[in-house]
Amino acid sequence: MEDITDKLDINNTNVYHSGLGIQIRDMTISFPTPEGTYVAVKNINLNIKKGEIVSVIGHSGCGKSTILNAIAGMVKPSKGEVIVNYKTIIAPGPDRGIVFQNYSLLPWLTVQKNIYEAVDSVFESKSKVEKNDIVDYYLNKVGLYAHKNKLPQQISGGMKQRTAIARAFSINPSILLLDEPFGALDALTKASLHEELIQLWSSDQEKKTILMVTHDIEEAIYLSDKIVVMTNGPAASIGEIIEVHIPRPREKKSFVASPEYKAIRDKLLYLLMDAYAAA
Amino acid sequence: MKTMALKKFIPGLTVTVSDASKEASDTSVVFLKKVWSMIAPVLLAFVGIGLFLLFWEGISVFLKRELPGPASTLTVLYDMLVNPFYDNGPNDKGIGLQLGYSMIRVAKGFGLATIFAVPIGMLLGASKLFYKMFDPIVQILKPVSPLAWFPIGLVAFQNSTAATTFIIFITSLWPTLINTAVGVASIPDDYKNVSKAFGFSLSKYVFKIMIPYALPHIITGLRLSIGVAWLVIVAGEMLSGGTGIGFFVWDSWNALSLERVISAIIIIGVVGLILDRTFLSLAKLVSYK
Repeated sequence: MEDITDKLDINNTNVYHSGLGIQIRDMTISFPTPEGTYVAVKNINLNIKKGEIVSVIGHSGCGKSTILNAIAGMVKPSKGEVIVNYKTIIAPGPDRGIVFQNYSLLPWLTVQKNIYEAVDSVFESKSKVEKNDIVDYYLNKVGLYAHKNKLPQQISGGMKQRTAIARAFSINPSILLLDEPFGALDALTKASLHEELIQLWSSDQEKKTILMVTHDIEEAIYLSDKIVVMTNGPAASIGEIIEVHIPRPREKKSFVASPEYKAIRDKLLYLLMDAYAAA
Repeated sequence: MKTMALKKFIPGLTVTVSDASKEASDTSVVFLKKVWSMIAPVLLAFVGIGLFLLFWEGISVFLKRELPGPASTLTVLYDMLVNPFYDNGPNDKGIGLQLGYSMIRVAKGFGLATIFAVPIGMLLGASKLFYKMFDPIVQILKPVSPLAWFPIGLVAFQNSTAATTFIIFITSLWPTLINTAVGVASIPDDYKNVSKAFGFSLSKYVFKIMIPYALPHIITGLRLSIGVAWLVIVAGEMLSGGTGIGFFVWDSWNALSLERVISAIIIIGVVGLILDRTFLSLAKLVSYK
């Protein structure tokens, strides 16, 4: 028992001094199924610095979302651990904001109320006025203030995802977890949401660590500092980590034309189409 | 369309219709169609009722007026409805008063059942453990005719009126309980994850996710419950006697007034329909989809 506490303390100090936002240590996650144990991901080691934007990319079933869920605290590692803010993750917490794949807005609450309930839950001690101010601030940031009293079914997919992003930012988490956030959106909406996300991130002094699961290569390169490429599942692991050294702010049109972008895209295409081609 | 029809009936006729008047005639056709679509159901319903009355009259004649025909029954019904609230002692009360007694019993039993059924249903829906523990009991008690509970009610309350309310309570319990449990059990993981991710307290989860999601199911349960309660009250009051619409039916039968029995049947049907529609519109009101 004492041993474990000691070990944790050392880990925590490590994370603190190294400026790591997220540290995944030797993590394996398996699920029991009727046909036996299914190993989703195996021996994952990953360090993400504070304020970094990291994408996890890979084919369907490569355990991308499992990794995200482990950081979120929704899934417990069978082996190893995830350390965030000096602590081993054992449960979801307000230090990590999540944007779900399918928006996950509560359909009986207005846009404003959807964000408010999250804020109310995390900042219990704040007054109602303060909480409403926080909600309004983020509604303005994502350009939804005029639509705040609409129900989710009355707004477009892009607006729903903006609401979900505003909700995740509104609790001011140090970590932001995005699970294929733009997958269901058309290309134009996607592009403008990319820019809004980067704006939100930079208006907050680029402090928040963002981990995004995606299968869109262009999106991964445009947004990320690092791209984690997964091998194929089951028992997927990290195949390669590609660093994106293109300076910010990145302007989308010239960015896509730059040789750095092309080089990274070709590498990713090679990895995903050939090296870890879908079975 | 109209011009075509005209041409068909008056050969050789050439009609020049300006666009404006054509549009006008189109809109008037649309208007007439709209009016017809509103009138048609009412008209058809009247035709149906007319045919039914005819059939009833036929049966009545066939049975040599052992069964009263529509004319004599509707006269009695009219008399009952004209003066619904008179009270000439225990064996002679207006139909409005009798309905009132029944409604109060249904309201008490149904209300009490709702207070129990919704929280218990939520518990069973939310917890697999509770569900496994209590589902067998629910499944066994649910198909039991509520009238079988009448003696238990008599023993428990030493009073036949309270026993009637008790069987309404038992009747109303199951549909609401089961529907609430099903509703709560089917809350999608997406919503549960929102609650987990943003650290919702238990009360926030119950009031912002569980109840809003399950509400349409709960209302459907209530609608089924009130329907069965209204079926059972007549039988219950026949057993308990004293007051109420069920007693009125039985009392009229003993007084050999089939006109009054049939009139009561019509009134029971109409009240049941109104109760059902009330809960149906309530269900539409709380539906968030």
